[in-house]
Amino acid sequence: MNVTLEKRTPTLMILPIVIILVVMISFLFYVIGLSVTDSTLSKPFKDFVGLANFQKALADQTFIHSIGNTLIFAFGVTAIETFLGFVLALALYTEIRAGRILRTLAMLPLFTPPVAVAMIWRLIYDPVSGFLNHYLFKFGLIERPVAFLGRADLAMPSIMAADVWQWTPFCFLLILAALQSLPTEPYEAAAVDGASSWQVFWRITLPLVTPSLIVTFLFRLIIALKVFDLVFILTYGGPGSATQVMSFYIYKVGFTMFKTGYAAALTLLVFFMVAIISTILTTGRELLMRWQR
Amino acid sequence: MRKAVVTTLGLLVALSMILAACAPATPQVVEKEKVVEKPVVQTVVVEKEKVVEKPVVQTVVVEKKVEVVVTPTPVPPGKFAGRSINFIAIQPHTVASKALAKWFEEETGARVNVLIVPYGNVTEKEVLDVTSGAGEYDVMEYWYPMLGSLVENGVLMDLTEWWNTHAQEIKADDFVPVFRDVFTTIEGRKYGIPYDGDLHLLFYNTTLFKKHNLQPPTTWDEYLAACKAITEAEKGNDIYGCGIMGAKIPLILIGTYLNRLAGFGGSFFDEKGNPTINSPEAVAALEALVAQLPYALPDPTAVAFDELLGGWLTGRVGMAEFWTDLGQMTDNPEQSKIIGEWDVVPMPKGTGPKAKVAAPLNAGFGLGVSTLAQDKELALEFIRFVARPDINVRVNTIVGGLDPTRLSTYDAPEYRKHVTDKLADAAKEAVLSRPVPWPTDAKWAELQDVLNENLSLALTGAKTPKQALDDTQAEWEKILGK
Repeated sequence: MNVTLEKRTPTLMILPIVIILVVMISFLFYVIGLSVTDSTLSKPFKDFVGLANFQKALADQTFIHSIGNTLIFAFGVTAIETFLGFVLALALYTEIRAGRILRTLAMLPLFTPPVAVAMIWRLIYDPVSGFLNHYLFKFGLIERPVAFLGRADLAMPSIMAADVWQWTPFCFLLILAALQSLPTEPYEAAAVDGASSWQVFWRITLPLVTPSLIVTFLFRLIIALKVFDLVFILTYGGPGSATQVMSFYIYKVGFTMFKTGYAAALTLLVFFMVAIISTILTTGRELLMRWQR
Repeated sequence: MRKAVVTTLGLLVALSMILAACAPATPQVVEKEKVVEKPVVQTVVVEKEKVVEKPVVQTVVVEKKVEVVVTPTPVPPGKFAGRSINFIAIQPHTVASKALAKWFEEETGARVNVLIVPYGNVTEKEVLDVTSGAGEYDVMEYWYPMLGSLVENGVLMDLTEWWNTHAQEIKADDFVPVFRDVFTTIEGRKYGIPYDGDLHLLFYNTTLFKKHNLQPPTTWDEYLAACKAITEAEKGNDIYGCGIMGAKIPLILIGTYLNRLAGFGGSFFDEKGNPTINSPEAVAALEALVAQLPYALPDPTAVAFDELLGGWLTGRVGMAEFWTDLGQMTDNPEQSKIIGEWDVVPMPKGTGPKAKVAAPLNAGFGLGVSTLAQDKELALEFIRFVARPDINVRVNTIVGGLDPTRLSTYDAPEYRKHVTDKLADAAKEAVLSRPVPWPTDAKWAELQDVLNENLSLALTGAKTPKQALDDTQAEWEKILGK
């Protein structure tokens, strides 16, 4: 009896994760199933159409444009946030007196719900009563109110600014943890050798922390590629198609036009795109680590 | 490795095809419609409808089971006490919807839980509620251009029998004809009652107009001249001649465009249902809109309902194309700085041989009952309550976000006192003589998205008006298979 139980224990132990995996994968198959049909919200799996939805997607200029917008947004905010997070982490990881308070304050935007963040920034940008226009006007920098969310050239940078405000603390936290876990020996040796602060940063800190920076960049990039809430609340994809990103376009196709089959095909294409980008970055990180060794 | 990848991909494709093949068959052609009716107690209608082809678009009506409960009149006292329903309503109608729920509870003892959602998301929430089987909502407020989509997705109960039974009692002939017919009817069947009789009129700030010695415009050319005159004269004072709602939201942007399209004598479709969105009148209308933008409250592409309201109520906007309840809001001391400083005229007309004065029915809402309503009898009772002429007057004499749907309301002394005679007369005259409704077909959800996208691109200068409308026409023809 005991022998049987002992034999089956490993199987029983992995059973929960197998169930979770099966559930996760089954959703993927559900989406794949939808994508090869002409489904609508009320009629799932209606009429098999093969790869027609994928062909349509690859010729859909709105979708292609939304991919471009998404890449600009995601790589833009991720680069800025990783850089700012790194700078903040470098400034605050040493134990200065106000360090803990500053760290807590720096993380506040991360604790704010995304919808609230969007509403806050909508009020900030408001051309009629927003404080950004108020101060620009007060300091004589503008002659008439600027509609940051209504101009095609300013809408995307405005959304990116809101995103940077919200997500820089995320990068800061990850990089701070990486900095705090660096070995002390190289720094002690550098001090003995009389290395300058710049040399320490350039020759020790940066090489050691780079793998963590890449991981931070990757995590943040994957999240940024899925941006939806800020676009939905701040601009609804406009003006024109200036801020129409992939997630928002898929939402419109699926939930305002109710074409779930086509939306599923778009989702899968986005899935593959994110997977390819992630693979490239992960491979790059591994190569870098090998080179460092 | 390569073999493994190929095998995995093959398995994925095969599994997807099996899933698709194993899926429940889509209802195709079911021709029979059976109505079983029992007097007074209950009427059970089991509907099976067929694929119907229309000139404009193809509408596929799904197979659905609809139960209609005919309530005896009058209702026995206490019959509904202690029962409750959920009512999904849009945010701008929060006050009116909650007031109706309160009055209904006072009269019947039944509770109506009002669930407020943003106006841009109401359709998707209703469709998801039914298609997911959740059935959270009993009574649904719907935007009338989405009626075809809601019916196609089996969201709303067929109320045709209910209308027939209650026509006299609810005084069906007293509803404004275009609201009664367009807001509620698809393929000759009725799915709701008119709830918010929206139409656009042109409001203007009398103080600003007097100050600059201007007359209210009767054409879009005069509108541009007046807008330009005020904006240029008030430069530096943060005051603008007009406010234009150009935010990229279909209800907002297409409404603004329709004001001009109808005035120039254009239309979305011709009588045969062919798209005519790039007609000379349509292009002229969009060119007129684009020409007005530089002088409007900045920046029109970011201005929607709230932004225009904010500018108007603070006296910073000379003219506003808005719904008829703007008069009530402007005279409300709690929110307005320009009490009494307004007047209203019909929408300006365009130029050219087809130009006309029009009253576009932008926005506009109905009330229906969900096919998954938990308490259909109570939901229908609530609908009957809201449809009553006295309730229509009562709800339109509070600042609740609704506009009259009944002819008698326009003439009711309480309503006229509340909104002023001039507004009541202007609205009634416009809605009876020149209403221009939006399409309500099931394909409109997709068509409006294309138009909305291209209008927004024209407003930002990314496309010329002609290019934007040519692209819309081409895409519409593709969608409609023309």
